[in-house]
Amino acid sequence: MSMIVSSLKNLLSKPDTVRYPFERTDIPSNNRGRVVWDMERCIWCRLCEKNCPTKAIVTDKAAKTQTITRVRCIQCRTCVDVCPTNTIAMEPVYSEPGPAREVHTYAVGMKKGEYTVGLMPLSERDETRLRKR
Amino acid sequence: MSRTSVIPFGPQHAAFLEPFHLKLQVEEEVVVGAEMSFGYNHRGMEYAMAQDFKRTQFLCERVCGICSFHHSSAYVQTMERLFGIEAPERAKLVRMIMMEAQRLTSHLLALGHIAETVGYENMFMQFFREREEVMTLVNRISGGRVHYSMNAIGGIRKDVTYEGLKDIGETMDRLEPRLLDLRSIVRKDRTLRKRLIGVGVLSKEAAFDWCTVGPTSRGSGLPHDIRLTGFDGYGVNGVKFRPIYYDEGDCYARTMVRMDEVIQSVDLIRQGINLMRDGPFLNAVKGNPPAADAYGRVEAPRGELMYWVRGKNEVQLDRIKLRTPALVNVPAVSAMIKGARVADVGPITVSVDPCICCTDR
Repeated sequence: MSMIVSSLKNLLSKPDTVRYPFERTDIPSNNRGRVVWDMERCIWCRLCEKNCPTKAIVTDKAAKTQTITRVRCIQCRTCVDVCPTNTIAMEPVYSEPGPAREVHTYAVGMKKGEYTVGLMPLSERDETRLRKR
Repeated sequence: MSRTSVIPFGPQHAAFLEPFHLKLQVEEEVVVGAEMSFGYNHRGMEYAMAQDFKRTQFLCERVCGICSFHHSSAYVQTMERLFGIEAPERAKLVRMIMMEAQRLTSHLLALGHIAETVGYENMFMQFFREREEVMTLVNRISGGRVHYSMNAIGGIRKDVTYEGLKDIGETMDRLEPRLLDLRSIVRKDRTLRKRLIGVGVLSKEAAFDWCTVGPTSRGSGLPHDIRLTGFDGYGVNGVKFRPIYYDEGDCYARTMVRMDEVIQSVDLIRQGINLMRDGPFLNAVKGNPPAADAYGRVEAPRGELMYWVRGKNEVQLDRIKLRTPALVNVPAVSAMIKGARVADVGPITVSVDPCICCTDR
């Protein structure tokens, strides 16, 4: 096929792109997206906190909360794989970009998919890093 | 009498996707010499990687976006040798299929990039349309468009289902005629041929001297491919494979090597699916890496990618060293652009497919 024939074919065919914000794209159902907790099932084993490669998850056993720093999460699905009770799931969405250094906290007693938004605290790791400087 | 003048090319330039700087010495329209400088993209990856061997398998994917699975495959292969275990056959074949799928995305990006650099927007769009098909395919299989996160030390983290394999096969059936059409366009098209043939010639001897790897060396007539010897998945399982090489050594030869390898990747993915048998997919490892050293290498889309690791019986690694293909290919550009015109510097540089993320890391 020559370029002219190919160009004419493309001219007469439908566009392959979609008008994305106005139309839905077909995101596959197993797409690794936003991490969510179903707090009814959590047994506070802290495996997700220990295995998270970027240390985005903080488990507070006393306050019964799971806190995730969204900008640190790299959507690797490790926490979902290690969870023994299928507490954690991943929603098939594309992660939204944003500069906000905010944390989302899931607590027992909240409805499914509900969370509170807070500011990212200076964790111990950050403090030691600052002190070194 | 002509006088030498200096023209800066980059770090920010329309022809480059990533920042690197070329200082061209020019006599009228002809380039007589060039200096290169890197480091605009340096992130201290080797140090960060040596901090925790389990987290490294996610970090090494982030060295480069278009050969992420090759990086993690090279790393887990190295760690498997360090631990003295072997991945199951099924895991090796899954790795091979996904590596070839990523080679498809990477080569189609490189081909689209070279079409764009010579000012051929129409062809650029066509290459990227086919690339999108592969990108959505790997998203369906692995859950991520760019970072697949499928590897684990000792195998793969999650098995590919029967439906997944069927999906890969059907997508390849859909894709192959379109890729063959594109190849016949690249072969016949007058604009591309006039723009690329005879431009940026790297002779066989020069390619050998500059230690080039991958499509850059195969475009210069060196049939050098790590898939024959390096990675366990190819060859040992009965995968039929023969490296593609062209003797001319110009930009067009390098482009044609990539174009033919795209078709070859489709064939290799089909062979991988046919050889796939049910079985285990993960031999999990326990404990910390022993105090020994090991290396592993794969054929990344740009050439030989090598990892060398030394453990010290702790979670941390003593040293991890990457040798990326772009690091050895990009300096060879200074041999190619001697005698070229300034307008050809863009296509010549792009024809080696420079990945500055890999080079600087």
